[in-house]
Amino acid sequence: MPTIEIEYQDFVKLLGLKIGKNVEKLNEILAFVKGEVKAFDEKEGILTVEIKDTNRPDLWNVEGLTRALHGFLGLDRGLKNYKIVDDSGVKVHVDKRLWMIRPYIACAVVRNLNLNDTIIRGLMRLQDKLDQTYGRNRRRTSIGLYNFDLLSPPLHYTVTKPTETSFVPLGFEQEMNLKEILEKHPKGVEYGDIVRRFEVYPILLDSEKRVLSFPPIINSNDLGRITPETKNVLVEVTGTTHETVLNTLNIVVFSLLDRGGKTFSTTIKYAYSGKNETVVTPRIEASTMLLRLEYVNQILGLKLTARHVAELLGKARFSVKSKGKNSLLVYIPPYRIDIMHPIDLVEDVAIAYGYNNIQPLWRRLPTTGATNPQTEFYDYAREIMIGLGFQEILTYTLTNKQALFYKMELKPEKTMEIANPKVLTLTCLRSWLLPSLMEFLSNNQHVEYPQKIFELGTIVIPDKEEETKTREEQRLAAVTTHANAGFTEIKSLLDALITSLNLQWQIREATHPTFIPGRTGKVKIGKTDVGVIGEIHPKVLEAWDLEKPAAAFEVDVSKIYTLTLQDTNKRILPDT
Amino acid sequence: MTELRPHERKTLLILEKLGGKASLSQLTAEAGLPETAIMRAALALQSQKLVEIEERKEKTLILTQEGKTYARKGLPERRLMKALLKLNGEAPLHKAIKEAKLRDNLVSIALGWLRQKGWAKLEKGKLKTLGTPEKEGIDERLLRLLDKNRSAILEKLDPEMRKTAELLKKRKLVEIEEKTVRILKITKEGQNLIKRGIQAMEEVSQLTPKLIATGKWRKVKLRKYNIRAPVAKTWPGKKHPYLRFIDEVKSKLVQLGFKEMSGPLVELSFFNFDALFMPQDHPAREIFGIYFVKSPKHGNLSRYRHVMAKVKKTHENGWKTGSRGWRYKYSVREASRLILRGHGTALSIRTLLSKDLEIPGKYFSIARCYRPEVVDKTHLTEFNQVEGIVVDENLTLRDLLGVLEKFAIEIAGADEVKFRPDYFPFTEPSVELSAYKKGYGWIEFGGSGIFRPEVTLPLGIKVPVIAWGLGIDRLFMMRAGIDDIRYVFTQDLDWIRRKGMV
Repeated sequence: MPTIEIEYQDFVKLLGLKIGKNVEKLNEILAFVKGEVKAFDEKEGILTVEIKDTNRPDLWNVEGLTRALHGFLGLDRGLKNYKIVDDSGVKVHVDKRLWMIRPYIACAVVRNLNLNDTIIRGLMRLQDKLDQTYGRNRRRTSIGLYNFDLLSPPLHYTVTKPTETSFVPLGFEQEMNLKEILEKHPKGVEYGDIVRRFEVYPILLDSEKRVLSFPPIINSNDLGRITPETKNVLVEVTGTTHETVLNTLNIVVFSLLDRGGKTFSTTIKYAYSGKNETVVTPRIEASTMLLRLEYVNQILGLKLTARHVAELLGKARFSVKSKGKNSLLVYIPPYRIDIMHPIDLVEDVAIAYGYNNIQPLWRRLPTTGATNPQTEFYDYAREIMIGLGFQEILTYTLTNKQALFYKMELKPEKTMEIANPKVLTLTCLRSWLLPSLMEFLSNNQHVEYPQKIFELGTIVIPDKEEETKTREEQRLAAVTTHANAGFTEIKSLLDALITSLNLQWQIREATHPTFIPGRTGKVKIGKTDVGVIGEIHPKVLEAWDLEKPAAAFEVDVSKIYTLTLQDTNKRILPDT
Repeated sequence: MTELRPHERKTLLILEKLGGKASLSQLTAEAGLPETAIMRAALALQSQKLVEIEERKEKTLILTQEGKTYARKGLPERRLMKALLKLNGEAPLHKAIKEAKLRDNLVSIALGWLRQKGWAKLEKGKLKTLGTPEKEGIDERLLRLLDKNRSAILEKLDPEMRKTAELLKKRKLVEIEEKTVRILKITKEGQNLIKRGIQAMEEVSQLTPKLIATGKWRKVKLRKYNIRAPVAKTWPGKKHPYLRFIDEVKSKLVQLGFKEMSGPLVELSFFNFDALFMPQDHPAREIFGIYFVKSPKHGNLSRYRHVMAKVKKTHENGWKTGSRGWRYKYSVREASRLILRGHGTALSIRTLLSKDLEIPGKYFSIARCYRPEVVDKTHLTEFNQVEGIVVDENLTLRDLLGVLEKFAIEIAGADEVKFRPDYFPFTEPSVELSAYKKGYGWIEFGGSGIFRPEVTLPLGIKVPVIAWGLGIDRLFMMRAGIDDIRYVFTQDLDWIRRKGMV
């Protein structure tokens, strides 16, 4: 979820409303735009707001936020009449070699600006946020702002070899070539991976071959620096998809328009696949979508009139024309990239209407509630274990090979490992349950003994036949540990469990390195192996830093459950 | 005639057997009774002038926990010295430490005593012996004796040993306990009494099966207990507090007519993302948002070919859903990427695709989910989500609010509810639920919405689907009185044992 910083004084001034400093009150207002105050530094006057909607980049700065809030607060309504004043005359020639690298560019010239430090800081924050989030860390789009008066059009969006072109990057004083920028400039280090694999890098030049920027890495220190004295600005966005490039440009341009700028268009000349194509940017005209009144009422469960819906849409800053008796033609500003389907307009109608003004309805549907039959069985098994005096525990299914195998004296087997683990101790899914219990005991050596613990939990085993390449089992593992813990005790306990599940079982001698030889058994129900039981080997106890003897079992309760369904002859018949 | 209680009688007779004079501890050992019982008997005998009690102070030496460890493993300086000798008497410090397998916290202790005992010196990071020390120092001998005999009486040690004991006390390896030794002596009257024979009234502490069966219980006196005396702690077997809470939520959902869903932990991206209309370059699908399986990287989606074709078109151009779609080239391969389930909503999609889906239908799941988060007070990397769906014709936003209100009242016991606009990539409209409960205040209790047409139509679902998720972790934390979500998976047995009903 995007978190943005806005300057409180500037926000209040733009909003034109005294809103106070009470965070609860601010949150009530911000609810309209799915925002919430995360922090309010009253000394610095910085309000940190989290915007839940990841698909509304138009809300990620103070201008966009106030534009939306003006509508909901009744200070303004409908779509503002944004216009392109004229063609700026600026042409941008795009080199066809960019096709595989970063093919699209969009530009706009905004004149008559009256900038100050607050506005510039806001623009930089917006640029950062858009680059990171909507621009996918500049891979998809990145933004550049330039002092238009220093440029000499036409511009050339072209390529250059890494060592061929040099310029002074933003924030530096000496010239560097592109290769050096990737090595030394912090932005080069951060974003270099986007272009490093190409033989030539993108570069934006003016007609005098002066560098505007090295997209998507860094602007020039001379041309790409905006100050309060800058009156006329060139906004440029490059990227990998045309639509996001145009959308990004719009979000910046609309913010500058809200600050009183006048927009002039530019002409982009492409020559991809041998065809000359001309695109005029920005494209700020509204698009339209037809909204049926019936659909709105059907989704919301209300009986709104067309007029009422139109009024609510106006609050959400759309303009509306009636289309026949039961439909509305909605004019959608280009920055509302989240409107993909009429359902998105319906939500805005509901927000403007107020969720808390809608009467909740609880319908009695003819459904029968139920847990899975397995769940019932597992719950019964848990009950028995608790009756036997065991404390239930809950552990992570994520663990590591050290715990699963080495500390249990086993050879490592294939498990489902994570490609991008966050911590070294959580790198794979457990393939058996007992290690989770051993780790738990290991963390509780100082706690009063005897300790009797169990867990019923999921384990995951690689299985090529399955669609997810894994198979899951529900296992029940239990350990008893105290000065006199041993095989007899645990066998008696397991017997209590299995016979309580109405099953007969046998034990067969087995070898398992986790347990003491001669005190290890396979647990069998009929011909099916369902688990293992034994006294924990002192080597394993040592590996877990344990000093008390321990005996344990682990059984596959999912398998036992299926046995209770099929193998009726294995069941103990009630005494007659 | 003097009448003695059984313990008093026993004490007197044993004292006689021991030659008429014995210490309290001797008597205890011989009688097989608790020291307190003997003492009580002795005082009673004293008041009847049958015995005399003499008191004397004695200092007893016992090992501390640290002392015990050293007695068995050797003093740190001895261990380091041994390692050094093994390394030919000279070695870099870190090497000697490694050889001695000394823990970090023991290193400075070992070095200090090596110097003090004049065994070795440290120069420029190199440890060097100053000769071969005797095999067992006097301090080590004392430790060994104490370990073997459990204790020693200070007064009985020779002067050198006594000095060593003081030294070991300074090292906190031994403790000196001052004890009062009581010597009991039979008086003349006592002797006479024994000669005359002692009458005893039988007093019984344990009511035995034999006493009951033979009816003999009628003839004995059941001794009074000190019922206020503390007893040993018993820890019951019980459910994990969080799982008990989850069981409660589960049963409430069942009562509200919801059926349980289940599904795999290792999931196909298709169910976790694609079918939820989350574009393939969505940030939640990057390495910071989801755990990817290392190998194999891809699962098998062939069973879902037909649905996937529709999902693909919906992503690319909206298909027949009335949406404009995300407008990018959808990759079938990416959809088969294996991940660890990031949210329970993946289960809802599987349910909507299932041939067993009922309409109307209400479903819930308690799903273990995973996200690559840094674990802290408010985040877990592995956690549980409780969520579900309601499927029926003509469901509206009002029904969604109704479901949420019901949850708030039935599950959170809320007095008041509030709704706020929310955002999820797969629902529209989306609603956040806040519940107010007296004594708890407002808590964000759930997120929900109506599945987008881009989600339901490609799955062949033509009726509205309400999707909801409950913030039960917050509720659990409040009810359990904890402010750290890590307690859900706590490894603290003591906390689990002590935690009462949540």
